[in-house]
Amino acid sequence: MATTTRRSRSARRSPGFDALRIAFMALFLLFVLLPLYWMVITSIKPTSDYLVVPPVWFPAQPTIVHYTAALFSYRGLQALVNSLIIASASTVLSTIFGTMMAYSLARFNTGGQHLAFWVLSQRFLPPVAVILPIFLLFRSWHLYDTHVGLILAYTFMTLPLTVWMMYAYFRQLPKSLEEAALVDGLSRWQSLWMIAVPLAAPGIVAAAVFAFIAVWTEFFFALILTSRYAFTLPTVFRAFLGFQGAQYGEACALATTSLVPSIILGMLVQRHLVRGLTLGAIRG
Amino acid sequence: MSSTADSLRRSPLSQWAERHFKWLIVAPAVLLILALSIYPLLFSLWVDFVNYDFEIPGHDFVGLLNFTTVATDPIAQSALLLTVAFSVVNVTIEFLLGLGLALAMVKTFRGRGVVMSILIIPLFISPVIVGQSWALFLQRPFGPADYILGLLLGRPVEISWLSDAPWYYVAIVIADVWQWTPFMFVILLAGLAAIPAHLYEAAELDGLSTLKTFFYITIPQLGPIIVLAVTFRLLDAVRLFDVIFMMTGGGPGTATYTLSYYLYQIGFQQFHLSVATAGSWIFLILLSIVIMTLVRRLLKAEKT
Repeated sequence: MATTTRRSRSARRSPGFDALRIAFMALFLLFVLLPLYWMVITSIKPTSDYLVVPPVWFPAQPTIVHYTAALFSYRGLQALVNSLIIASASTVLSTIFGTMMAYSLARFNTGGQHLAFWVLSQRFLPPVAVILPIFLLFRSWHLYDTHVGLILAYTFMTLPLTVWMMYAYFRQLPKSLEEAALVDGLSRWQSLWMIAVPLAAPGIVAAAVFAFIAVWTEFFFALILTSRYAFTLPTVFRAFLGFQGAQYGEACALATTSLVPSIILGMLVQRHLVRGLTLGAIRG
Repeated sequence: MSSTADSLRRSPLSQWAERHFKWLIVAPAVLLILALSIYPLLFSLWVDFVNYDFEIPGHDFVGLLNFTTVATDPIAQSALLLTVAFSVVNVTIEFLLGLGLALAMVKTFRGRGVVMSILIIPLFISPVIVGQSWALFLQRPFGPADYILGLLLGRPVEISWLSDAPWYYVAIVIADVWQWTPFMFVILLAGLAAIPAHLYEAAELDGLSTLKTFFYITIPQLGPIIVLAVTFRLLDAVRLFDVIFMMTGGGPGTATYTLSYYLYQIGFQQFHLSVATAGSWIFLILLSIVIMTLVRRLLKAEKT
């Protein structure tokens, strides 16, 4: 939890150094914002503004026609609904399973360090190494191109994240309240549900949000495991590959629609970002 | 420990559930991982040594044929090389830029919160969208990139970013760096903020120059965090797929095939499932060697 103190060295630094610092930050901000701005602005540009030189940085007549086209002609709406269902369901499952497992690891050292690291190793398994057998498995179990199948795959995919974030969180929570609850006659299940979970609520919310974002933005599993029915938002962008039909506006409208929810959610858990990115290894 | 009086009042089922509590609560997660990771891996071990191909019927035992097929495929070899090259270049650039940003941002200033919020945006965006928006930004004649470069250089620039060598490599690196520099930045910033202030005060008393302070205090103190950030990032960098899929589709030809993209092509476009599986096992073994080396480094760094 070391975020407060900052040193006074900078007073000694030359103004030249400060100018360099500000220039570097400004350039990088520009680098981050330019392609995003171009995308958002293209989503409201009329078609006639696409190929104009010099480029149109703000359209004289903004339009929303690309949004309606992207949602209704490119099945964007169905993808949006699918993504919402699949991301929500797998987030809920992954958070529940992950929190339970993390609690057992943190409080009882279940399976020693091996079990915990076995879960972590799943995070570093390249999806391409397991996707082929999963694909064959899903076809024989009739899970291919179904919501249930993708929900299971994503729950599996996000488990290392939720388990390890909550593992780190539970280890820093004191045991004493749960022990007191056991003495008072609560079962272990009750003390998990009524004592530990409410205490860990901020951590659980953060883990859930990171899991949701991970699923919301995932492409590879969805590409392989779905086709016409359970497809998610990221897979729809295939329709615009190569831009032969010059569907720039539709592509950008769909991208803008997709990134708004995940950016908003991300900002809400910004405080937990370091824990989320390092699976709890660094507290931030 | 629950009191005996209480456990006597409970039904046999809840007593059983209480006794096996710690295993029951790990069961759902463990079963799911077994079903979707361990079972597929074991199954794919069998697929490695038989013919499993949508073009050729039957599952005859073929020995090591699948492995030799993939290992001698020149496209696979160049994909491996390109994956290594991309990983090294991307992670190095992301580390240097991320460290620079973290150093620039470690001191508080007005508007720091807003700058922070903007810098981390790429982390919440699907790589597919990152690939698409950079393709749109760079691609001639639609994207403004060549126009902006023309203004800066004072002469017309006509680069086809996604089809001219070596620019398609540059375009992919730009997209990856755009998305993942914030990852390095956020972690390194947390590491910088955790360095005890008294170390800097001591350095100042000793009259160490800014450069010396950086190399004798900042970098050693940051060491374990750097190893951790690079390890995490590297293990994701080697799977590079989405950006390739959206920006170049592996092209022109097979020039931008990475390992993941190659295996996807072999397995899911040409349906040589057993060859792709053998390839993914080779990938997995190579990756385990990298992981073991890095983790050993990581544990060593943590001890010091």
